Amino acid sequence: MRFWSIRLASVLIALGACVLLQALVGHASDYEQRIVVLVGLYITLSVSLNLINGITGQFSIGHAAFYQVGAYLTGYLTLNYFSKQPIHNMLLWVILMMFVGAIGAAVAGFIVGLPSLRLRGDYLAIVTLGFGEIIRITVQNQPAIGGSYGMNVTPKYQSVALVWLLAIICIAVCRNLLKTAHGLPFLSVREDEVASQAMGVNVTRVKVTAFLIGSAFAGAAGALLAHFEGFITPTTFGMDVSFIILTMVVLGGTGSITGSIFAAALLAYLPEYLRGLKGADGQPLMIPGSNVVAWLVAVAVAVTLTRLVMNKYSGDKLKKLALYLGAFALAVVSRFIAAFFLRMIPVMANKQIPIDQVRMVIFAVTLIVIMLLRPQGIFAHHEFSWSWVKGLFKRGEVPHSAVSA
Amino acid sequence: MSILELQAATIKFGGLIAVNEVSFKLEKGDLFGLIGPNGAGKTTCFNLITGVYKPTSGDIIFHGRQIQGTPPNRIAQLGICRTFQNIRLFPALSVLENVVVGGFLRHRTTLAGALLYLPSSLRETRRLKDEAMDYLKILDLDGVPNARAADLPYGMQRRLEIARAMATKPELLLLDEPAAGMNPQEKQDLMETVKRIRDDHGITILVIEHDMRFVMNLCERIVVLDHGEEIAHGPPEAIRNDPKVISAYLGEPV
Repeated sequence: MRFWSIRLASVLIALGACVLLQALVGHASDYEQRIVVLVGLYITLSVSLNLINGITGQFSIGHAAFYQVGAYLTGYLTLNYFSKQPIHNMLLWVILMMFVGAIGAAVAGFIVGLPSLRLRGDYLAIVTLGFGEIIRITVQNQPAIGGSYGMNVTPKYQSVALVWLLAIICIAVCRNLLKTAHGLPFLSVREDEVASQAMGVNVTRVKVTAFLIGSAFAGAAGALLAHFEGFITPTTFGMDVSFIILTMVVLGGTGSITGSIFAAALLAYLPEYLRGLKGADGQPLMIPGSNVVAWLVAVAVAVTLTRLVMNKYSGDKLKKLALYLGAFALAVVSRFIAAFFLRMIPVMANKQIPIDQVRMVIFAVTLIVIMLLRPQGIFAHHEFSWSWVKGLFKRGEVPHSAVSA
Repeated sequence: MSILELQAATIKFGGLIAVNEVSFKLEKGDLFGLIGPNGAGKTTCFNLITGVYKPTSGDIIFHGRQIQGTPPNRIAQLGICRTFQNIRLFPALSVLENVVVGGFLRHRTTLAGALLYLPSSLRETRRLKDEAMDYLKILDLDGVPNARAADLPYGMQRRLEIARAMATKPELLLLDEPAAGMNPQEKQDLMETVKRIRDDHGITILVIEHDMRFVMNLCERIVVLDHGEEIAHGPPEAIRNDPKVISAYLGEPV
């Protein structure tokens, strides 16, 4: 009884949170809503790719293809059949489309999953990459679905709540998998296929299942994207999208669900945040070229010193923290020194660069810095846990994660 | 009826005959040794029995049923489980989780139930974990259930492999050099543990080992392989004095 009341409460909280979010951002501008939706979709995508890449260890890098299958399949259905069917409730229709998109993408996932039975590591990566490109180029050459001009999806249906509900379901499914014994075969296949098989694990079935579930969520996300944007083109699902999703998984820490969520939110939001930065005059922020270079110098100094402290100093945690702060302070100082000298170069001082142009540079530098300072990913293999946070505040003791793998 | 029977099992890799017409029988409750110099085909024999390789010719019969060509995971389900010569644990998983993977083939809930986090799948998870703890106790590993398998010292990793294999509840357990790299005391303890596994759990055991004291004291019957061929077969005393075995493997006493 207690179990079911907790279950009911958590489902209600999840639904309530989505409705609340909808109420909060419902009146915001289209652009702001779009950012919230993108963050939700990228969380779904990265958590579902994490199931394939991080948990099952199948290095797949064509995740955008499943996203695209879901988007195009449901977009086409809505455009051609929504007006012809009896139920004219858009919410129900979009929910139905989520399932259709999920099934369509799962079929695609099954097809990609099959070669993964024979391929490992780099070879599988190449196959999935190729598969992604095949889907994109096939779509691009089909005039019936818009070709490279793209396809209008009408009627549109913009629901922030549905997007976040999907993200929550995706997270819940992966978390449940890892919390029960059924998750262990997935992890064991990642660790050692031969040993897994010798212990009676059906490696084939495990890999295909991972691809099915992972691609189904990507397909559902694609369905929501198509209906939110009302317009999709093949470039929406290019290789760069696949790589961004992969980056989120690796950056968060391969295998960590919380890591994927965190990295997805960070990487989906950061470029949009930078784009929106305004100067004092209300125009997009302009930065002198000398400052851009000076900041790069500061980042290099900070990373070098931090790594030095990390590798050379092992001792009291508070002293180590002080050293990190010192490194940070030195980096800030070096930024001003560098700016002082760089301003003497006329080209540097006079060139004003709009933030919009350097935002992808900042994005890339962020990735490089995180990977240099934490090559195992922000959360490494671990999940966020409160006992770990508590451990941070206990002096002398080494914090350990409650969850392994 | 014998539990496992190899009938002229042969496997060729190209021109190399790794195992050539090897035949032996294991009765239920046997403690059976498989010895021979390096490259004699002992591990290949294990790979034939557990389905990693399909024999080129000959039969492998488990409980009166031909099992050659059956995939390894099916063979584990039939009741044959093994350990590996070069330890193959799941390094990033905890000690307990490693053993639960072994017990997982007996799970009774569906994946869908697990994804929905139904109470039945939680109960099943708890049951498998409790069972795994029992196996850890048998191998004296119950003190470190939450350690990462990779962090264990070597001897414990060897024992964890046995615990994991036992969790599949096999009728026949194949141990590939279980005592390799252990010190004399650890070997002595392991020998007693292996005997206990046979006596208390009724598991038939086939063991590959290079340590002669270990094999001679542990096993009741031994097969000696050399260059893929069976050169001797019998109780330890007979093997020890067999001139062919002495010249191929044991060497003359100094």
